[in-house]
Amino acid sequence: MSTELLSGFTDQARGSAEAFRVMLDAMAQPGRILPLKPDFAAPAPLFDSTAAICLTLCDYDTPLWLDDSLREAAVIDYLRFHTGARIENDSSQASFLLCTPATAAEALARASIGNAEYPDASATLVIQVPDFSGDRLTLKGPGIKDERAFTTAGLDARFWALMDENHQLFPLGRDVYFAAPQEIAALPRSTQIKREGQA
Amino acid sequence: MTTGYNFAYLNEQTKRMIRRALLKAVAIPGYQVPFASREMPMPYGWGTGGVQVTASILTPGDTLKVIDQGADDTTNAVSIRKFFVRTAGVATTEETEKASIIQTRHRVPEASLREDQILVYQVPIPEPLRFLEPRETETRKMHALEEYGIMHVKLYEDIARHGHIATAYAYPAKVNGRYVFDPSPIPKFDNPKLDDCAALQLFGAGREKRIYAVPPYTKVTSLDFEDHPFSVQKWEEPCALCGSTTTYLDEIILDDKGKRMFVCSDTDHCRKAQEKAA
Ligand SMILES: [Zn+2]
Repeated sequence: MSTELLSGFTDQARGSAEAFRVMLDAMAQPGRILPLKPDFAAPAPLFDSTAAICLTLCDYDTPLWLDDSLREAAVIDYLRFHTGARIENDSSQASFLLCTPATAAEALARASIGNAEYPDASATLVIQVPDFSGDRLTLKGPGIKDERAFTTAGLDARFWALMDENHQLFPLGRDVYFAAPQEIAALPRSTQIKREGQA
Repeated sequence: MTTGYNFAYLNEQTKRMIRRALLKAVAIPGYQVPFASREMPMPYGWGTGGVQVTASILTPGDTLKVIDQGADDTTNAVSIRKFFVRTAGVATTEETEKASIIQTRHRVPEASLREDQILVYQVPIPEPLRFLEPRETETRKMHALEEYGIMHVKLYEDIARHGHIATAYAYPAKVNGRYVFDPSPIPKFDNPKLDDCAALQLFGAGREKRIYAVPPYTKVTSLDFEDHPFSVQKWEEPCALCGSTTTYLDEIILDDKGKRMFVCSDTDHCRKAQEKAA
């Protein structure tokens, strides 16, 4: 089976270094949309960008949860082979949660927020979005000079309400990457999110 | 570049672990993320924490600057720079504006940093409450509950004893209105540069196994009192080499009769200022 597996980074050390730098910049500058185009093709419906995040960060120390739409044999085999991460069935036990807009609210609600003494012991969500158009948001907080406009597609009101709660939990909370096929953006727990029409 | 090493020396598993810690550190500004520090081919005190952070963020296209006490040519700075040339094949520079990553011990460059730059600090003791409370379990609790009273008591004892806050280095500050943190043993003169800085600032403590961060444009407020506001070091005379009156100056003893002069500690900044004046 592993002979049929699609490959990961051509050069793991350099490929992951370049991918990580994009992920670090995205987390440090919330809402900034940055290109993340690894030199490999991930098995659909996993985006190349999502795969780059997993191959850069995940290993046997980081249980991985996937929503039903991503839980395909080809994806699971690929992630297991290239990361060594355990595929977790209970989303509350996962370090990384891969989901789509339809499942994002439920995944966010269940994901670990860490604890008061170790707020870093919390989950990171990767939400695959078709592109960065749609809902208009205004962001404020660390990493943002004054304010930043951000748009992303397909996420419902319940998700944004939960993201607001997530920010209120600071310093506890989850951190979120949005992954379009070849671009990413991040919203850490420290970011205050205002939706259009909200006071 | 020497082969036989992984890119930037550290193995991929170690880098993954440090990279996860770095992302959480950025998401929780000023909070100290524990990480499993690795043995590096240099002694503690030579910046093994900073070196591990730099190794984990470095890409082949980076240009690295390393400074120690503001200077690029000290033994420590030179050996760290050589280490990354050898293990990662990166370009190096002594010019602040040409660097994409700057690793530093004891100073923040005088030139304003940009969004496309990252400043990596070498940290000996990351816990600002450590000399007041030796137990890690207790300092964790104090951070969790935002109980920073003893820090103020310490600074107030300074005032009672000296008439002013005597702490001049590693001056504690609050990040994003939440965590009190140690900006590393930089002079308090540099504390205002951390506030609202355009560059990402990362801190690595190797022996103590902690990583923390200040994202760009984040509020960093030095602790003080209404009747004793925070203030920075000042000098009576300008830099003897470039004439600057706005930089941090080192005292240089010129002879055994006590003749001395004051010069910029940031050697790149001083050289640029001299070139501009010439
Ligand atoms: Zn000077």
